[in-house]
Amino acid sequence: MMHQSIKDHGDHAELMKWRFPFIFSIFVLFFLLIIGRLFYWQVVKADMLSELAQSQYNGSVSIKPERGEMKTSDGFPLVANKISYLLFVNPTQIKNKDQTTKTLSSLLNVPRASISALLLPGRLWVAIKSGIEAREKERIENLRIPGVGFEEGYARFYPEASMAAQLTGFVGKDDIGQDKGYGGLEGVYDRLLTGKQGYSIGKYDALGRPIISESTTVNNGFDGSDLLLSLDRSIQFLVENKLKEGTRKYGALGGMIGIMDPKTGDILAMASSPSFSQAEYWKYDENLYVNPFIANTYEPGSTLKPLVMSAALDAGVIKPETKCNICGGPISVSGYELHTWNDKYYKDTNMIEVIQHSDNTGMIFVAKKLGADRMIDYLTRFGIGKLTDIDLQGETAPALKARSAWYDVDLATTGFGQGVSITPIELLTAFSALANGGKLMQPRVVVSIENQDGKITKVPPRVLGTPISKKTAEVMTEILVNAVEKGEAQWCKLKDYRVAGKTGTASIPLKGKYDPSSTIASFIGYAPAEAPKFIMLVILEKPTSSIYASETAAPLFFDLAHNLLEYYDISPSK
Amino acid sequence: MKKPYFIITFLLGLTIALVMGRAILQNTLSVSGVLVNKIDQEISYYKTQNAILSEQLLTASSLASIEKKAKKAGFVSGKTAMVIKTSSSLAVKP
Repeated sequence: MMHQSIKDHGDHAELMKWRFPFIFSIFVLFFLLIIGRLFYWQVVKADMLSELAQSQYNGSVSIKPERGEMKTSDGFPLVANKISYLLFVNPTQIKNKDQTTKTLSSLLNVPRASISALLLPGRLWVAIKSGIEAREKERIENLRIPGVGFEEGYARFYPEASMAAQLTGFVGKDDIGQDKGYGGLEGVYDRLLTGKQGYSIGKYDALGRPIISESTTVNNGFDGSDLLLSLDRSIQFLVENKLKEGTRKYGALGGMIGIMDPKTGDILAMASSPSFSQAEYWKYDENLYVNPFIANTYEPGSTLKPLVMSAALDAGVIKPETKCNICGGPISVSGYELHTWNDKYYKDTNMIEVIQHSDNTGMIFVAKKLGADRMIDYLTRFGIGKLTDIDLQGETAPALKARSAWYDVDLATTGFGQGVSITPIELLTAFSALANGGKLMQPRVVVSIENQDGKITKVPPRVLGTPISKKTAEVMTEILVNAVEKGEAQWCKLKDYRVAGKTGTASIPLKGKYDPSSTIASFIGYAPAEAPKFIMLVILEKPTSSIYASETAAPLFFDLAHNLLEYYDISPSK
Repeated sequence: MKKPYFIITFLLGLTIALVMGRAILQNTLSVSGVLVNKIDQEISYYKTQNAILSEQLLTASSLASIEKKAKKAGFVSGKTAMVIKTSSSLAVKP
């Protein structure tokens, strides 16, 4: 028994002899593993972990600036902003790629193949569709699709739909996908409207909540400035509707109307047809982005006659009662036989009647009296051949021919508005000098700029020059009132108001000749003649109901003028 | 030399008080982060709602919308305007 006990004790000691080193070595191995792992994380992967930690608790939030608004003269935002969302997907969080693709495709109306191609493994953030509205976002959000998220931003919003589209321009994207203004006001004032992006850097906990005991750096950007326009919303609305109606009624290919306050150069309305929608600009032909009122050139025809006549009156080479001694029939100049528009001739007609009958031979007489040098000088003083520098992107202005290229026939045809190309804005601006006592004002659309702090900077009206004297302007106004009262367009004149105006039926150059079947019909005028509140130019391109302005552009002008005089509460002057 | 017991006690007390103060402040602020986050979310929500309502308001007050509603309500554009001619009223006649 004793022997057995001693033997057991010896076995136990033998066992213990092995067990201790075994357990000890396991502990050592275990600690070595821990030390190895710690070495791996703390030395080998130290930089990576440090960066990861930084990115977890150092949060940077970019503060996107809100683009400035454009307000009409009544303070209504013609161009505003709305909340818009970008839908993005984190492909690593998607559980069922096919199902997610199918759902998003039907919700967003985006082809399945396009979405599927974007959801590549290894990508963490993929933009699927931008411009999603709040309600649509809520609807998608309620579906709780894994991996789908939204980023809030701003998008342009047009409460008056496509009103003044070619004047406001639109917001597209630049080379790096940032918002950028194109055309019109968006183009010219892009930097002012954009503002500056800000950001906030702070520390956040594991759930993304701010730790406010830690310091936060905020770099304040600023929102874009708002533009207050001279545009009158009611007039613009009226003009756009009447223009659409007019082009349809007279079968015109297109048309445009510009209205300005001659005293300040403020553009009250500017419309063209056809136009486009700023909100969906990509659906329209790029040519429609251009504002034809400032970019298209045409031969003004008879609407240029009052400028040439006033130049001659101002230069003192003629008087209203001066008689034309070459107006009895067609006039031959350098081998070209020049006629009147209706082949009717008035022998010994005076200058008042020349404008009244829109007599080409009478204007050749005036042009000859004026001479090429003074013609070029006065046209330049009226701003013809130069940019008006209106604050809209895309203005053009073909230069006047050099003096050496003026031949007798050029002088003669310029007298009645052919052979010289101008833009509608050039004509409207030049004509406004007749309505403003001889003072030529620079046309403008923005009257003041309001920054994000509410500071308002006014844009003062600018006088470009005084091409003619006040007296000449007054005389010319009376000649133009007579033209409205007794001229071709007298059938549609306003009974109770004195309006100064002139029709223009311009031929269209085609392959070196003038197209006999189509014209550009226009009417330019201002009212009331004694104290003009507005000056308006109406242009119809290739009207088919009649090629003459007196039967197309003139009635449209007087219809609008009647509405405007009522709108301004102006009492009848007759 | 007499030991400055008062100053030592004061500094010790001040140190303990500041440490405790800091601990309490840190503790309070660490919870405030949750509140700040909640407020931020609320601000963002109301900002979004405000923008949506502004959009609806502007759409409803646009001339195109007013014209449509006016036509529906039976309004027609006036073809004639009554004008009072320029004779002066009796009161201003000499």
